Amino acid sequence: MQTTTPQLAETIGALGLGAADTGAAFEVATGPAWAMLIPMLPLLGAAIMGVCAIMGVRSKLPAWITVGLLGFSAVLAAAMYAWLPENGRAVSVAWEWINVSWGDEPGQTLKANFGFYIDSLTCLWMLFVTLLATLIALYASEYMSHDLGAGYCRFFAAFNLFVFSMACLVMGDNLLLLFLGWEGVGLCSYLLIGYHYKKHSAVFAAKKAFIVNRIGDLGLLLGVFLTFVHFGTLEYKDLFPMVQPYIEAMRQGSISDIPALVQLIPVLLMIGAFGKSAQLPLFVWLPDAMEGPTPVSALIHAATMVTAGVYLIARMYPLFLVSEWALPIVAWVGGLTALVAATIAMAQFDIKRIMAYSTVSQLGFMFCGLAFLSSVGGAFHVVTHAFFKATLFLCCGAVMHGFAGQLDLRKLSGVSFMKGWGIVGIAMLIGCLNLAGFPFTAGYFSKDMILAEAFITPGPGYQFLGVILLLTAGITAYYTFRVFFRVFVGPKHFEPGDELHGHDGHTDDHHEEHGSSSHGANSDHADENGHTPGDHEPLGGSVEERGKKSHADPEHFHPHAPGWAINGVLVTLAILSVLAAALYFFPGADKAHKGWAGGMISGSTAALVVGGEADHPTRLAAFVGAEPEQGTLFGQDPHKIMYYVSGVIGFVGIAIAFALHYAGRKESERSSADNLLQVKPIRTAHRWANAKWYVDELYDFTLRKPLWAASQIFHLIDKLLIDGLVNLVGYLPRALGKGVRPSQSGVLHGYAAAMAGGLAVILLIVLLLSL
Amino acid sequence: MSESILHVLILLPIATAAFIVSRPANEAKTVALWGSLISLVLGVVAAFQFDWSNAGAMQPEVSLVPWLPALGLSISVGADGVSMMLVLLTLLLGPICVAASFSSIKHRVKTYYAWLTVMQAAMVGVFIARDILLFYVCFEFTLIPMFVLISIYGSSNRKAAATKFFLYTFTGSILALAGLIYVIWFNATRVPVEAFAGAGEWSFQIDTLRQAAVRMSPTEQGWVFAALLLGFAVKVPLFPVHTWLPLAHTEAPTAGSVILAGVLLKLGTYGLYRFAIPFTPIAAVDFAPFIGVLAVIGIVFAGLICWVQDDVKKLVAYSSVSHLGFCVLGLFALNTMGQSGSVMYMINHGLSTGALFLLIGMVYERYHTRSMRELGGLAAKMPVWSFFMVFFVMASVGLPGLNGFISEFMCLMGTFQSSDTLAGSSIGATPGVLGPVFAILAGTGVVIGAMYLLMMTGKMVWGPLREPKGHDHDNHSELPDDLNAREIAVLTPLAVLCLVLGLFPTPVLKGIEAPVNDTVRWVHEHGGLRLYRDPAPARVTELSPAGVVTPELAAPRAGGER
Repeated sequence: MQTTTPQLAETIGALGLGAADTGAAFEVATGPAWAMLIPMLPLLGAAIMGVCAIMGVRSKLPAWITVGLLGFSAVLAAAMYAWLPENGRAVSVAWEWINVSWGDEPGQTLKANFGFYIDSLTCLWMLFVTLLATLIALYASEYMSHDLGAGYCRFFAAFNLFVFSMACLVMGDNLLLLFLGWEGVGLCSYLLIGYHYKKHSAVFAAKKAFIVNRIGDLGLLLGVFLTFVHFGTLEYKDLFPMVQPYIEAMRQGSISDIPALVQLIPVLLMIGAFGKSAQLPLFVWLPDAMEGPTPVSALIHAATMVTAGVYLIARMYPLFLVSEWALPIVAWVGGLTALVAATIAMAQFDIKRIMAYSTVSQLGFMFCGLAFLSSVGGAFHVVTHAFFKATLFLCCGAVMHGFAGQLDLRKLSGVSFMKGWGIVGIAMLIGCLNLAGFPFTAGYFSKDMILAEAFITPGPGYQFLGVILLLTAGITAYYTFRVFFRVFVGPKHFEPGDELHGHDGHTDDHHEEHGSSSHGANSDHADENGHTPGDHEPLGGSVEERGKKSHADPEHFHPHAPGWAINGVLVTLAILSVLAAALYFFPGADKAHKGWAGGMISGSTAALVVGGEADHPTRLAAFVGAEPEQGTLFGQDPHKIMYYVSGVIGFVGIAIAFALHYAGRKESERSSADNLLQVKPIRTAHRWANAKWYVDELYDFTLRKPLWAASQIFHLIDKLLIDGLVNLVGYLPRALGKGVRPSQSGVLHGYAAAMAGGLAVILLIVLLLSL
Repeated sequence: MSESILHVLILLPIATAAFIVSRPANEAKTVALWGSLISLVLGVVAAFQFDWSNAGAMQPEVSLVPWLPALGLSISVGADGVSMMLVLLTLLLGPICVAASFSSIKHRVKTYYAWLTVMQAAMVGVFIARDILLFYVCFEFTLIPMFVLISIYGSSNRKAAATKFFLYTFTGSILALAGLIYVIWFNATRVPVEAFAGAGEWSFQIDTLRQAAVRMSPTEQGWVFAALLLGFAVKVPLFPVHTWLPLAHTEAPTAGSVILAGVLLKLGTYGLYRFAIPFTPIAAVDFAPFIGVLAVIGIVFAGLICWVQDDVKKLVAYSSVSHLGFCVLGLFALNTMGQSGSVMYMINHGLSTGALFLLIGMVYERYHTRSMRELGGLAAKMPVWSFFMVFFVMASVGLPGLNGFISEFMCLMGTFQSSDTLAGSSIGATPGVLGPVFAILAGTGVVIGAMYLLMMTGKMVWGPLREPKGHDHDNHSELPDDLNAREIAVLTPLAVLCLVLGLFPTPVLKGIEAPVNDTVRWVHEHGGLRLYRDPAPARVTELSPAGVVTPELAAPRAGGER
């Protein structure tokens, strides 16, 4: 057992808030060495994939190795959870990563180990990350099977590397290792979005994701700087005890004792969170990220990576608590993102993009949960969302896989009733019910926890925000079931997409077309299996795919139903999505906290009161400075009434979707919703929402284009002005030489004359001076 | 570490060059490769002999080969942790540059390899010189081989590029020389003999002169600093004296670009680190915000220029200007974090940008174009090349886990910390004159870096394959479509080092920490910056603390200065 050092206590004293209690609450044990295997196994996997690629493996071997290693990681994550002592924290250090020291005093050494911090928050995240990664790798083994060979290895290498990075992000025992994971998942996201690298739109989307994330990362990096500058450490085990005095100050209501710098740290950190979790104003990359293969969308862009922002805030919760403005900003950004993304989702036709916007929207809910002082609600929603959203994405992926890349909900109908598609239909229904917040599903409970807090927690406009979120919940139910009613039930009909796999006998056709666009290069992994994003191209995206007419003959096209791997994973995930609801009732580590997630959170740094116990009203009073009075909704306790309110709202959303898109749909393409579009205001709103409120265009015109113009101008300045001056300076001596050259004529009397003249001048000067 | 091994490191390349000249042309590349490999091995031996626990001190302790004792001239060599690292970088790039030239250099082979090898002697000489004479001779001598390499083996506009490179950097160096001579003169004539060993005589020893130089008045320091800055800034190159670089880089042969980016630019930052800052600490502190502004402008300005380039080699060349901005910023943070980061940056930039130039050279050999309009989507045809390209781009972007991140992070962190205002209240801050604003502005360079490097990757690596028209018809190259074994062997050590330095930088960091700590302490002590955690008021702008400049020395100069 390693306890806090005297040096640390001294440092805390130096912060000027009196000696703090650095006793038992902050003990950090030495973690087990095998916990380090959780990130290291996927890293090993990535290396093995590289070897496979070099050796030219053309079988499914890479997938099986990946599934095995990730499965082992998942088992270890479960073991880590079992190992975890109550309220325990432990650190396992693999090796010293960065260590720069310029003195012996506190704050004069920057140390960041490759060390892993194990507490219940880590366990919570790692459990679902490794479990989902294993399942989705299994799914991908079938999904990616058309690309066996180098592409397959490349896919699984990035997949493994992603899990490694995510594990570093979640398990890192310092902010710098978190940052390594943070950027590492960004890299993998870049590589996997751009998997179909011959498609302009995929390359563009990948670049956009990386750069937009980088903007957020800069905020995070500055937050890291400020954290170090103020606290003199980046390691959690030293950092959190040092925040404790500020928490005490907050409790006593003396917020003025907390330096502005400390209050600024969470604001910088949250910029990073907004980037990674695709919140306003940095959400634009996530929908485009759907260019990646669907398993990637499910794992990275729905279930795990995008929750990194939620994790960051949960991990750094003590710092967010001691800032006056941090959590309200998070609340408003989250709430507005939830609404905006939901409205866009209503007007899209590409089912995968609808799910992408839905992810953005649900992440907004999670941020709100954190901001409403319900880190439990936020974290629980992360877990339930991870399972049901992965289910939804993988169902969409199965459809896409089976229908040659078709994702347009107007061109698919009644899929559930087709032969071999029953499992997909049922899994989709379970996912949709969860997302819509249908009573007694996991999504219903986790969303309620957040919604209720909106009406309880005092804060700037939180009540209004609660109304926005309720409205969003209704919209969510509508757009979710719009997809379900149009694609999965109703009359059987389909038009295949324009990407046919080899087994349909169109191989030559297909390759010929690609051959022409790629100068006859080998199109081993031409962009099969990408998809056509219909009418929502990203700015600058390619036009060429759009106009490409399907050369699939619908007469001869047979959708191929998913095989055992896809179906098996869907069944497992659907069951897990349902079972997740039980976590709400499962008492977890201690009974005082709501459900299993509550137990997990209360034992970690994300707990509202670090190292202590407090009941709800008091902790509110402690952190918001308000009287411990319970907010109400319709004059009732929001916790209780919310079950009914949100249940009703969910029903209403589903009912509208049913009326418009099931009952009101006679043929596959048109529904009575289209009649509504004849009404002008609705049509305009629809057009704007379909164009994503023109945010991309706004950025293009206000940022990208001016910056591009400025760069061109800079280039000119550099070439003409700066280099021009240099050339001028270089030219002067030459010109001078040219001017003087006639005098060096070698003619003797010339020299004599010059000498005489010079002598005369000197004499003249001497004469004048002596006067 | 023995003195002789350092002497051998300078002499061996010269001997190799002589041997190359004496042998037939077809043996030149083999001889050059073996010579540079032996140098590298010797360098590694030297690194093992080096006492890393005492990396802050010059090793060997005493090194003096008298040359013209009457004038105080001697040859004196030694290395501390920083020098050792840079010597190793130079020696590593040696065989890589030789091997990278095998297929591209077809005519005047002997001249090429001879100069390439001589170049190495000069660069090593700069880093291990302990007296100004050796330093300056080597510093200037590097120009000649590079001039030859560019003007004979470069591409179409090579003559102009070589001339500009030579004249521009030469003019700068003259100014630096003037500054150094002033310090020598000052030591000989203005410092009392009893002040310290070597005072009051004509000494060229850097250690001696450093002690003398800090006794100069702030005004003198200002002038000397300005002279040194001008000389070294051209070499770095710091905005706005950078315009020779894109031209020289674009026209130089691949190995020339690698050496230019990998080592020659580092001579400038090394000069700033070794001379400008410790010799004239008061001026360095005074000028730091000004240089910080130039560095930040360079980072953003050059970064944005990269974004609109079509010539991929020019893009990487401009990216060097942007990257070296971080390096200079770190130096003038005047704290351990920033300066260690800066030294790390010198090494890392040499590895990753050197590798990018190699990669571009490999494509150029196959396609004879560097235009991203004509060329692109090479992942389809050159998967191995593409792997390395993406890898080194990520190292260059500063992806954590690879080397670039460590140095970029440290430079920015050092800049952020370096604030007298923050140092009063925050335990992690250090005295200094830059601070968060500089770090935030420079931080935008991180985003811009991602913009232009990914733009380049997006065009060169991804997308549908684009080749110059008629490429297949006139491709007489003996090279295969993708990289051959030699090319992979050239890139692999760099890639491995990028990864190792990204994941286990501690050995290197610890090696440079001690000397940097010494320099930083020296600067803080003599530069009027508040000592660490010293309760004394933040800055003394006027005359330095007691005992540093004696009044009787300062007084006559105040009046007698010309």
